[in-house]
Amino acid sequence: MIIIMDGHENNLKFNILVIEDDPVITEFLRTGLGYEGYEVATAGDAASGLRALREKPYDLVILDVMLPDIDGFEACRRLRRSGSDVPVLMLTVKKEVSDRVEGLDSGADDYLTKPFSFAELLARIRALLRRSGKRPEKTRLEAGSLTLDRETRRVTRNGREITLTPTEFRLLELFMRYPRRVFTRETLLNRVMGYEYDGGSNIIDVHVSHLRNKLEDRPPKLIRTVFGAGYALYPDGQGS
Amino acid sequence: MKAWQRLSLRARLSLLNAFLLILSLVVLGWSSYWNIWQLFVDSKGSHLRARAKPIIEHWLSTNNLDKPRCPGRNFNAGNALSLACDLTSRDAVAIVVDRKGEVLASGRRLSEEPEAPPPDKAYLKRALAGENEITHVVRVKDTRMLVLLIPLRPLPASPCIFGVVQMSAPLDDINQILFRHGSMLLMLALVLLFAGSVAGFWLTGLSLRGLRDLLDTCNQIGRGNFSVRARVRNRWDETGQLASAFNRMLDELEAALAAQKRFVANAAHELLTPLTGLRGSLEVLLRGAQDDPVASARLLKGMYREVNRLVRLCEQLLGMSRLESSYVVKRQPVILPDFFSDFSSQAKSIMEGRRLVIRQGPHVTVRTDPDLMQQVLFNILSNAIRYSPPDAPIQIGWRLLPGQVEIQVADQGEGMDPRTLSRVFEPFFQGKSDKSPGEHGLGLGLPLAKSMVEALGGSIRIRSKKGRGTTVFLTLPL
Repeated sequence: MIIIMDGHENNLKFNILVIEDDPVITEFLRTGLGYEGYEVATAGDAASGLRALREKPYDLVILDVMLPDIDGFEACRRLRRSGSDVPVLMLTVKKEVSDRVEGLDSGADDYLTKPFSFAELLARIRALLRRSGKRPEKTRLEAGSLTLDRETRRVTRNGREITLTPTEFRLLELFMRYPRRVFTRETLLNRVMGYEYDGGSNIIDVHVSHLRNKLEDRPPKLIRTVFGAGYALYPDGQGS
Repeated sequence: MKAWQRLSLRARLSLLNAFLLILSLVVLGWSSYWNIWQLFVDSKGSHLRARAKPIIEHWLSTNNLDKPRCPGRNFNAGNALSLACDLTSRDAVAIVVDRKGEVLASGRRLSEEPEAPPPDKAYLKRALAGENEITHVVRVKDTRMLVLLIPLRPLPASPCIFGVVQMSAPLDDINQILFRHGSMLLMLALVLLFAGSVAGFWLTGLSLRGLRDLLDTCNQIGRGNFSVRARVRNRWDETGQLASAFNRMLDELEAALAAQKRFVANAAHELLTPLTGLRGSLEVLLRGAQDDPVASARLLKGMYREVNRLVRLCEQLLGMSRLESSYVVKRQPVILPDFFSDFSSQAKSIMEGRRLVIRQGPHVTVRTDPDLMQQVLFNILSNAIRYSPPDAPIQIGWRLLPGQVEIQVADQGEGMDPRTLSRVFEPFFQGKSDKSPGEHGLGLGLPLAKSMVEALGGSIRIRSKKGRGTTVFLTLPL
């Protein structure tokens, strides 16, 4: 999770180690988690994964149960025996209760069955990192004159409260999480309206325009339209 | 008949048992009753005759009638009366009849002496004709009487008969004894009938217990509990044998069911892994990676690979189910040397540069399906290729065995340990090896080959040693 302070991306990224032998799953995890702002390292089997864990501290391990050398349960037990308390999220196809029990008994902190939703994986990663308590996630995002509290769902600019619809709230949260990053309309559509929304992407233009009206009732402008690409939030007031 | 059919087997057997018991008791009781009656009557008759004999002899001599010539006037109502009186006692009364059938005298004097029945004409005639042992029973006023006829002759065996003595005795005493005996017999029969029926009911229940257990087991299985087994109480009798046979059948069914479940679970597992890749890649693309051409290209390539994997998997699953349901085997004569020279040229495309050595065996013609055989060999060959180094040749040879031909496919690849070897015919099983998952097959090649060979009426076995290579043996009927 990225902690945003004064509109600047925190350069202390969480390190995640993915131990998974399937190349396609490894690939999308690396890409997807990278896009979400995590530092991702991968290992194709348990032995190299455990070696990587000895060499460098990680904030979280995603561990597949079916590995070519030893299974994930055993790998997790070995990891715990070596004294590590890194949060472990296990991935497996098996759904039987006994497997879950074995997974959790072997020292895993959470369990996700394949095929999982990437959004759920992200939610669980966030929950695990929050619970591990090393660098607790802020529920309050701050960007320039803007603040957003994800628990109370309050948004203020210069201390003045702004009322947003749920869609506008999600849009602003995304912008504030990644300040200055350009989001295409398609990406915004998928992340704000859900993957299965099949209307046109100009609905995003409508929501962004509403958001602008509410946020930018006095200068400076905060949201910039990047021609031919999409939108980005400039908390320091370089919007257009 | 309907009511009979509606009864339980136990009730029917018990009723049958009771019926047979009644029948045998009735027959036995009646015959014993009849025999005893006969015995009593016979003994009474002989007793009376034995008593009469000396009296008659004495009377003959005192009345001068024991002369060889036939007496005429010497035999009259007077001496006849004295004979009748001598022969009459409390329990038997005698009358004397002359040659014409007229009653000359009756011995009954006292009122307590039984009354004599009038002589029966037909029996009398037979006695006068010389028949000695005439005994019959007549009914006189509610009492049955035993009647004996004794012909009177001057000397034993003399043809001259001048009269007949009729002795009659009431059978009341015998009847009384027999009544007591009969009542006892009846009581005994009732007790026996009751005991026998109860015992029969209990015994049939006992021997049908196995069937009832089996029924309980069936009902439990009907409710979905497949792990129960029928109790085998006695493995020698039919119900015990039925229970064991039933249990054996259940074991087989359960094993088949478990195999099926395993197959479905494995198939689902194999389907879910590529689906995970597809779903995750799509999500990552939708969440923004689509804006990055490099990341998109990598993810799309991965997705394409996963889709291909799914297609291959579905094709193999389909092939498997087709084989298991109804595979049409089109047999025709196949000349093995010709078949293998065709096969080696077709196999070139999959050999990836390896050498395929056909070691010529005997000139044999096999009646089999060449297409199916080719598929079997392709499956085995692609396995051999996957697990052997690029420079190691693969050899195919064949030899003749009694009634069948054995084809060997030998590689010099990684080989397998015994544990892996024991599971290679399980669908989706993949041995551990240093191959990356992409290089693995789907774990269906050998199971498919096995079912195809079995469809051809042959068999398949594998000999393998870790690090030394693997040889697959196919035997096919000629």
